[in-house]
Amino acid sequence: MNTKNFHAIHITKDKCIGCVHCLAKCPTRAIRVKDGKAVIIDELCIDCGECLRVCPHEAVHSHTTSFAVLDAFTYKVAIPSTVLYGQFGTSVLPNEILSALRRIGFDEVYDLSSICELNCAATEEYLNEHPRPRPFITSTCPVVVRLIQRRYPALCGHILPIEPPREIAAKILRTILPKSLGVPPDKIGVIHITPCPAKMVSINSPATLAKSFLDGAISVRDIYPQILAALRKSEEDSLMRHLFPETLFSGIGMGWSLSGGETRGFKNHRAVAVSGIQDTMRVLDQVEAGLLQDIDLLECTVCPDGCVGGPLEVENRFLAKSRILELVAAAGEHAVVDQRDASRLYHKNFLSFDHPAPPAESHPLDHDPAKAIRMAKRREKIFAGLPKKDCGVCGAPDCRTLADDIVRGHARLDDCPFVTKEKR
Amino acid sequence: MAGSVVFRQEFAVKGGDFAKAGAVACRIKELLKDLGLDAATVRRAAIVAYEAEMNVIMYAWQGRVDLAVSPKEVHITVDDTGPGIADVELAMTEGYSTATPEMRELGFGAGMGLPNIKRNSDILHIDSRTGEGTRLKIVIRTNGHGRT
Repeated sequence: MNTKNFHAIHITKDKCIGCVHCLAKCPTRAIRVKDGKAVIIDELCIDCGECLRVCPHEAVHSHTTSFAVLDAFTYKVAIPSTVLYGQFGTSVLPNEILSALRRIGFDEVYDLSSICELNCAATEEYLNEHPRPRPFITSTCPVVVRLIQRRYPALCGHILPIEPPREIAAKILRTILPKSLGVPPDKIGVIHITPCPAKMVSINSPATLAKSFLDGAISVRDIYPQILAALRKSEEDSLMRHLFPETLFSGIGMGWSLSGGETRGFKNHRAVAVSGIQDTMRVLDQVEAGLLQDIDLLECTVCPDGCVGGPLEVENRFLAKSRILELVAAAGEHAVVDQRDASRLYHKNFLSFDHPAPPAESHPLDHDPAKAIRMAKRREKIFAGLPKKDCGVCGAPDCRTLADDIVRGHARLDDCPFVTKEKR
Repeated sequence: MAGSVVFRQEFAVKGGDFAKAGAVACRIKELLKDLGLDAATVRRAAIVAYEAEMNVIMYAWQGRVDLAVSPKEVHITVDDTGPGIADVELAMTEGYSTATPEMRELGFGAGMGLPNIKRNSDILHIDSRTGEGTRLKIVIRTNGHGRT
């Protein structure tokens, strides 16, 4: 329990009242209530944000990049998630949103939809060249990668080793901008704008890169008011933007943030999209049991409906989704990426992982199976004596987890209020 | 397995209960991970347990999975009351299946169940009586004690 991992999700002790909402929702059972406050177990947390969604006291917060951090850079570049295009209703076009970002202080702003299309082309090429294993799993959702490393270590080799669009875009910008601007690389800040707390984790401790190409991630929620103000101030400009768009959007990449969007442009492969943390775990269980080998690619995103359901967005996800679907329909099948360019970058390994995602260290009851077996027997005995009400009063999410905590030495039997009552 | 520490647990499986398909295999997988067995052994056991569990759900009326784990071996014994397997040798053929069209529509019944169990176990015994039921006895040796 000594290795400290970077996490984006934290509990504000002053606001936490020690209720059981987050406890029950955590998919990896990483939360305990100790001394009346929720505590996150470092090595179990995958930064999915389920606790952040359910906390009624706003005691769960996420560490995303603050605006003050941007001042360290002389040249600031924003690459917003395509989720941002769905946040401002039906009359605001993506080009207006991008120029609003420029007005609030970014020197340059790049659309990600074309890079999403590039990723899609590279992924198909990779699948063509690698008939095994099946299914491959996409790496776009950093929570899925961490979930696999921790709970499905045998599936680490199934993660398709192409970096997600945000990292590819940042890598391209890092390659071209210092030369074209004449600015030292460390003075150029490349910032992702996202509804996802876990992007901070993939930036600070990347699973498949030596170092992330991004300098930070600002949440949609934090930057929303400024974009809105900038949009209001420039209504007369918007007519010009409509007539004279400066960015060409990719019809294939535009829907990337919706579940199924990553593989919508696939021509020759069978892809299946899964969203939501519970369904993702159910499907990964099946893959681990050797099933679904007739599928080429699994697109898993732990937020409901895909990134558009991220916990740090502003617009409700149904409206955002509807707006993005409109934009997808308007863009049609418009392709902006030349297949040959995509292929060249792919074969230069420019789009690849630095290294595969390593399995996380496992946490058996004991590393000696004989000792672990004795402990498991004790654990079953303890569990048999617990009330199985899964009330959470002991501080563990359910009776089975309490029994586990007891044999591991992290809890005591009399933490259970029912067991104590019977004793009296 | 005599003489060493053994962890035992029993799981019930109901025929036709597709809603719980895979639940027992999942529990077994989690248990084996807790017991500190190597990842390859856990994966093989998970595949074996899943296929065996699905066989009960798809074809039998009632079944029981017995798990016994020592540091050297994982024993999975599956007993069911059901129609039995008329021709075991035929059932071991890859691609042979008696699954109904409904089962195939759900993605099951590719005729890989028993062959898959055999491939992932070190010992497989099948004892089946037509009209009564089937017993599968599976042994998986943990890494360093089994096949390389």
